[in-house]
Amino acid sequence: MLRIGLPLLLLGLLAGCMLPPEPVTETGREVFNLYLVVLALALVVFVGVEGFILYAIVRYRRKPGDDVLPEQHHGNNTIEIIWTAIPTVIVFILFGFSMFTLARVEARSDDPGVRIAVEGFQWQWIFRYEDGPTVTGSAAEPPVLAVPIGEPVRLELETLDVNHAFYVPQFLIKRDLINVPNDLLDNELEFTITEAGTYAGQCAEFCGTAHADMTFVVEAMDRAAYDEYIAAIAAGEDAPGGDTGDCGTTIELAAVESLLYDTDAIEAPAGEDFCIEFTNNDSVPHDVGIIETDYNGDDVAPGESITYVVPAMEAGDYTFYCTLHPQAMVGDLTVTE
Amino acid sequence: MATTTLEPRAGTFSRSWVIDWLTTVDHKKIGILYIVNSFLFFFAAGILALFIRSELAVPGLQFLDQDTYNQAFTMHGTIMIFLFVVPVLAGFGNYIVPLQLGAPDMAFPRINALSFWFLPLGGLLIFSGYLFGGAAAEGWTGYAPLTDDTYAQGVGTDLWIIGLTLVGTASILGSINFIATIFKMRAPGMTLFRMPIFVWTILVTATLIMLATPVLTAGLIALFIDRNYGGSFFDPSVGGNPVLWQHIFWFFGHPEVYIVILPAMGVVSEILPVFSRKPLFGYKAFVFATIGIGLLSWTVWAHHMFTTGAVFLPFFSFMTALIAIPTGIKMFNWLATMWRGKLMFTTAMLFAVGFISMFLIGGISGVMLASPPIDFHVQDTYFVVAHLHYVFFGGSVFGVFAATYYWFPKMFGRKLNEPLGKVHFWLHFIGFNLAFFPMHQLGLSGMPRRISDYAANPEWTILNLVSTVGAFMIAVSVIPFLINVIATFINGEPAGDDPWEGNTLEWATTSPPPPYNFDRLPPIHSERPLFFLTHGHGHAAERPEDLEEEQVHDERPADVERREDPLV
Repeated sequence: MLRIGLPLLLLGLLAGCMLPPEPVTETGREVFNLYLVVLALALVVFVGVEGFILYAIVRYRRKPGDDVLPEQHHGNNTIEIIWTAIPTVIVFILFGFSMFTLARVEARSDDPGVRIAVEGFQWQWIFRYEDGPTVTGSAAEPPVLAVPIGEPVRLELETLDVNHAFYVPQFLIKRDLINVPNDLLDNELEFTITEAGTYAGQCAEFCGTAHADMTFVVEAMDRAAYDEYIAAIAAGEDAPGGDTGDCGTTIELAAVESLLYDTDAIEAPAGEDFCIEFTNNDSVPHDVGIIETDYNGDDVAPGESITYVVPAMEAGDYTFYCTLHPQAMVGDLTVTE
Repeated sequence: MATTTLEPRAGTFSRSWVIDWLTTVDHKKIGILYIVNSFLFFFAAGILALFIRSELAVPGLQFLDQDTYNQAFTMHGTIMIFLFVVPVLAGFGNYIVPLQLGAPDMAFPRINALSFWFLPLGGLLIFSGYLFGGAAAEGWTGYAPLTDDTYAQGVGTDLWIIGLTLVGTASILGSINFIATIFKMRAPGMTLFRMPIFVWTILVTATLIMLATPVLTAGLIALFIDRNYGGSFFDPSVGGNPVLWQHIFWFFGHPEVYIVILPAMGVVSEILPVFSRKPLFGYKAFVFATIGIGLLSWTVWAHHMFTTGAVFLPFFSFMTALIAIPTGIKMFNWLATMWRGKLMFTTAMLFAVGFISMFLIGGISGVMLASPPIDFHVQDTYFVVAHLHYVFFGGSVFGVFAATYYWFPKMFGRKLNEPLGKVHFWLHFIGFNLAFFPMHQLGLSGMPRRISDYAANPEWTILNLVSTVGAFMIAVSVIPFLINVIATFINGEPAGDDPWEGNTLEWATTSPPPPYNFDRLPPIHSERPLFFLTHGHGHAAERPEDLEEEQVHDERPADVERREDPLV
């Protein structure tokens, strides 16, 4: 009976390529190996049962005009005990292997090579390196998490609002970010990357409107390159946010608690560059953009400040806003001669 | 004459059919109302699924914006589960259980009507968010604190809460009604272990609903207080705990999975024996496996929370894996029922065999997900979406269509057209696998669920496109089904009382059955009273316990009279 057989055969072939990505961490490799064991068990069960169904469909189809009742089997204790034992054995094998791997995956080193605080918020990430710089990004330019290879990396996960999940498919692991006191749940993730490379990551727990935009990139590199990379960002961040010498006019603007600017109207001169000195006193990142000119300043992490240099504009009424919270944070920008 | 005025009004007073259906307390009419209402919501939620799949066909945002997309998958999940799969199976239960028990109606006919009418009301409330600035958009699981008023400001989420509370109340009332009916309304001779297997699965399901749904209702009310009256159950900024919501939701939500699958298993266990012309192999083992699944369902909720870091993994992993044992027993029972049978591939049988072969895949991926390290990788990815659709769709929905083709002749006196039914089945079966099998690979390679757009790599693009083609194929498969139903009403083949040579009591009355169902009942000596009526008692020799009881029954009048009217 090809008409049921063919799709099922195709399913079987498809199952042959049902594999996770090639793992790039030590624990990822463990999970991958566990998965292979489980997949093998699954395939045996799948082929066995579907094969039996196909056999029964072909072999026991009722012939036209055959009105003789088949033998009426109500049950058989021996055989029923045997087939209770089969899934039981499979379950215990699976559980044993799983616990063995779980212990390896959950293991923590005493002294990780790098500690990084990972903060998720609607809808981006902040990476705070211990004794180092702070990095964030946007949907267009996902933030980069630089990590060294060959040594344990410890992430301390924290959310600034709703639940998120830190997920890098090639690490074969994810962990939720939930706003609960640290002692109530394990919000750390540790891994040792074995291969240098660039690995895409993404928020895996639905977190609202722009959940799909919460992407990031892991750059894994050797220790020397890592140190150089971190030093470079740290240096870049310490430099002034713009050449303030060119600022004819400087406007002060701040973000305050729960998604607000401290003012809803600012003024600037027409026909010349001007500066906005922006301080973020809120608990989540913000920035300043101008709707009409598509100006979009860099994101500013909580507690940080920046000086934006805004290109010259014609006189008129404009709207400034936070590009991360366009509905909540808007104000009028009046540009006058 | 005085005698004329004393005649019951029902015989002489003809009401409009609209009023008749709106005010009915007949379990058969209510059952049909349940089923029709559920299918309407099925089509609505199916259209939402097509929106989702259209958006995901290729990378980039083409049809929907992010918020519309989030509303679409939230409504799709909520409506499919709460307004389609659960109530449609309850509808078949409503129609069939009293018939299979030899009862004239459900135990509480008016509560039965009430619990039905909450459903369209609740469903429309949930949908009405679209009219008030946007429907709920936080996923059918409604995780806190995303559902808190800070992050979900629209009234859509409140309507979602109120609607679900109504639907939940309907379920609770219905479940109590089922339990009372099954324990108190069985025909003489029908002991618990002579009940049809479908009734057993409804009994276990109703018990799960009765115990699990109040938990969700309490959680929803707590959430409503959080949102509207400054409560702090789940809001971490004022001392609440968002993990608590996950515990509450899944303490309801995992029994819910079995609420959805057990009656479908019951349907399949009715159909396979009839079209294999054999009894269900291992009836008692099947009953105990059903009870076992029901009990285990209370111990596994936190396997939805492995990646929170807040649950004890070995316990929940082990209990979850244990469910494979009773489920495996059922699978073997079904296979052994087909073994050496004389299989007849009616459309109902095709859907039943389709159920077994597809549910198997959902069961296997479920056992894989029970392993925490594997779950760490595929949790919240399309692997989970594939898994749950192989259980809900490959399992329950195949069961629903099997039940539709199997019991339609009893409900309406006409058989659905078989060739059209087979077209329906094959489009449905192939479309289903095209739509959902590729999702396993999408999830394994790391595509998260609930994203409106995805990275434009070639693997994800092709797999998503295949899935979208499959989804539209499922939609197309509905067309022959609808044509079939309409054509059958117009000019269908008359079914007679017992078109399939059934085993159970619903086939012992007319199609459709009269009000109060039975003029008289056959003697009940086993779970297949009709089989024994047709084929004699010779086969009972295989079961000595039946013979002993048979002698007891032989002392009774051959035709057991109907019991007192329970409506009084």
